[in-house]
Amino acid sequence: MPINFSSGVKPIFCPGCGDFGVYAALTKAFQDLGLDKDMLLVVTGIGCSSSIVQALGCYGIHSLHGRLLPVATGARLANHDLTVVGVGGDGDGYGIGSAHFLHTARRNIDIAYVVMNNQTYGLTTGQTSPTGQKGYKTKSTPFGNIENPINPLAIAISAGATYVARGFSGDPVHLAGLIKDGIAHKGFALIDVFSPCVTFNHMNTYDWFRERVYKMDGHDVADKGAALKKAFEEEETGYAKLPLGLFYRAEKPTYEEQDITLRSGALIGQPMPTKEQVLAMLQENV
Amino acid sequence: MTSVSVRIAAANGDGVESTGAILGRVAANLGLEVVGDRGYQSVIRGGHVWSQVRIGDEKLHDFGDSADILVALNQEAIAHQGSHLSKGAAVIYDPSKTNADQLNGRGYRLIGMPLMDMALAAGGDPKMRNMAALGAVAKILGMPMESFEGVIKRMFSRKGNDIVANNTRAVTEGYGYSGIEKLYDLKYDGKQRYLLEGNVSLAIGAYAAGCKYYAAYPMTPASGILHWFAAHADRGVMYKQTEDEIAAINSAIGAASAGVRAMCGTSGGGFSLMVEALGMAGMIEAPIVVVESQRTGPSTGLPTKTEQGDLLFVMHASQGEFPRIVVAPRGVEECFGIAAEAFNLAERYQCPVIILMDLFLSEHFESVSGIDPGTIKIDRGKMVARASQEGRFKRYLLTDDGVSPRSLPGSKGLAFIASSDEHNEYGDIVSDVLAGIDEHVEMRKRMHEKRMRKIETMLKNETLFVPSIEGESSEHFIVTFGSTTAAARGAVERLRRMGKSFGLISFSYLMPMDSAKTKMALSGKHLIDVECNFTGQLAKVIAMNTGVMIEDKVLKYDGEAITSGEIVDRVLKVLER
Repeated sequence: MPINFSSGVKPIFCPGCGDFGVYAALTKAFQDLGLDKDMLLVVTGIGCSSSIVQALGCYGIHSLHGRLLPVATGARLANHDLTVVGVGGDGDGYGIGSAHFLHTARRNIDIAYVVMNNQTYGLTTGQTSPTGQKGYKTKSTPFGNIENPINPLAIAISAGATYVARGFSGDPVHLAGLIKDGIAHKGFALIDVFSPCVTFNHMNTYDWFRERVYKMDGHDVADKGAALKKAFEEEETGYAKLPLGLFYRAEKPTYEEQDITLRSGALIGQPMPTKEQVLAMLQENV
Repeated sequence: MTSVSVRIAAANGDGVESTGAILGRVAANLGLEVVGDRGYQSVIRGGHVWSQVRIGDEKLHDFGDSADILVALNQEAIAHQGSHLSKGAAVIYDPSKTNADQLNGRGYRLIGMPLMDMALAAGGDPKMRNMAALGAVAKILGMPMESFEGVIKRMFSRKGNDIVANNTRAVTEGYGYSGIEKLYDLKYDGKQRYLLEGNVSLAIGAYAAGCKYYAAYPMTPASGILHWFAAHADRGVMYKQTEDEIAAINSAIGAASAGVRAMCGTSGGGFSLMVEALGMAGMIEAPIVVVESQRTGPSTGLPTKTEQGDLLFVMHASQGEFPRIVVAPRGVEECFGIAAEAFNLAERYQCPVIILMDLFLSEHFESVSGIDPGTIKIDRGKMVARASQEGRFKRYLLTDDGVSPRSLPGSKGLAFIASSDEHNEYGDIVSDVLAGIDEHVEMRKRMHEKRMRKIETMLKNETLFVPSIEGESSEHFIVTFGSTTAAARGAVERLRRMGKSFGLISFSYLMPMDSAKTKMALSGKHLIDVECNFTGQLAKVIAMNTGVMIEDKVLKYDGEAITSGEIVDRVLKVLER
């Protein structure tokens, strides 16, 4: 019988929210991987999407806005026997937490990071986010957004993430596969998800996405140049074509595999120092 | 008691720091007491730097008001250090490179030595001038030449045998230079002491307590801690250099939540960035230790100078209220024990513990003989490893003492959410659809009270939160905290020798404060507040907690560490008023 990933608490999503699709895909990925609830730690930030952790029934840290990746990094380095999954939104990860996004990617630490990307700050009642498109009208951009959206996939590929994928919450089965492979992947995995905000985003709606998304076929995921080209396809086509699927995957040593301290096993399992070891440290100062 | 202050002055990159360290280590090895400090600037090469090492045959309280021996390795040293010399000081210089005429006729003993020639003869590196001068200093202090060999070997062995041999030769040359004679009679007991900087003492204390994770972004003067952890990463401690201080503290919270003893460290600027996460540690009750080593502020301030200007800041940083412990070690030796105990307190009360250092305490060195790792006890606080009943685990159980048993990720059947939002006993948030509903209004109240109750429990169970009193029946008392304590103790001794009735009241643990006991300790005494900031922050904290107002204050905020001599002079002026 599949493990039940539900705490009984309901997420705060609006009716019809794209994040329900992500919740379904996430729990399916956990089940398909046969994850042990007690060995799974989900770390989220703050925002509508981050409230998902309340519903999962595994260990969780519902951390600060934008800070889920450093919290997840510390937990993972302390106990790398845990499966650590970061989940958040686009404002959280690509706005206030953008520095952490870059640096966690370049470390290739073994964390899967699922971003529910709805181009919108929802929990603050609808302002444009770093992925908001030009012309997007919100409470913070009543005359239309004049900033260019960032490209999280291209950034992740450039920064050194070793698994970069995009899914659509309108296709949770496909998305579950991407998340499952991302968790199984050794190294930092970004799974960006188009997850429409049905309440505030009247530009990038389910219909808008359905007209544009397509699943990549025949794309060489080992080719970094091709992956970047695919990542830029959305802006090159004026957002007429939005490829879904795995953009890039590379097998590279993880941070945990290279760290000298972790050669003796997970930090949490390493013994407290003996009196003799402490004396030896002091004796270095004579 | 005999004591001598030796000051070595030159440009950055001339090896001033290592020369001072070698002299300090040799003296500590012989069983002498040592206090050393250095002055430097925010440049990598050039500028004017000095290292002052005070050596004595009894416990020392500071590095000396002035230099008894000056090693002047360049012209700036003669120009800038003239005002820092004791009466009759000896000045060692190289007449072929440096003109000491301006010191003539002022009663100093000018010792010209061909330091450059000696350095070149000993191995060809002009930098070894300071080693030749060090030989002369050793002779003047009556230290045996052999005592240098082991220290030079330990400090330079990584650079190769030739470097060790050449440096030893340069010291020998200086030691044997004709005309240098023994001027001081230091009695040493042969009991080897460690020579530790505050940062190193703190780092080893944290290590002894089982701290396995240290996260930081490089920032003076806390970087010594990261250098220690990084250098020992192959021995069970991890240093994680993060992209900023925000990531440093958040990753420490992640590591602590996963069950590892974790610490992060920075200076005031970095701590400013950590503040939001400090509040999260309070809210999710994560046991972390945060080191804040103060420098002269505000803003970038004087990055290489000291101050005690962040006391009120670290006590009150963050929105909202939560229990925290703030402790300022009073000396290098105390850094070890306080760091070790900080992890017990953090885990016992599941709250952040802030160790308030400063540049002087972090970076100056002292001989230390009182550290005993055998006294370290590890208490990880209330933990649950196995589920005792069906149903979800109440991580934030409402308890009488405010401390709820915690589980670690990986423990069977004890999953919970650590929520930075207000939450119920399971950790489920009560901040969104539940906020404002009667039942959850009540939960917010009760959960906040539960957390805050930990302060009462700390005050009840620990004896730490009161000041130390020395000289109980004295007429006047210096009141101080943290790193200023040693210089204040030296001042008290001097004032007593002048026939004044002086005692010392010093604080290391500053938050929480046992108001009743502290008030009792302070009442009915003439108090003079001594601290290194403009506003008298300790006096404000005391007033806030006890209602005791301290009118007389000696405050210093020029960036330099305060010395006993300066405290004595200024306290005497207070008494004249």
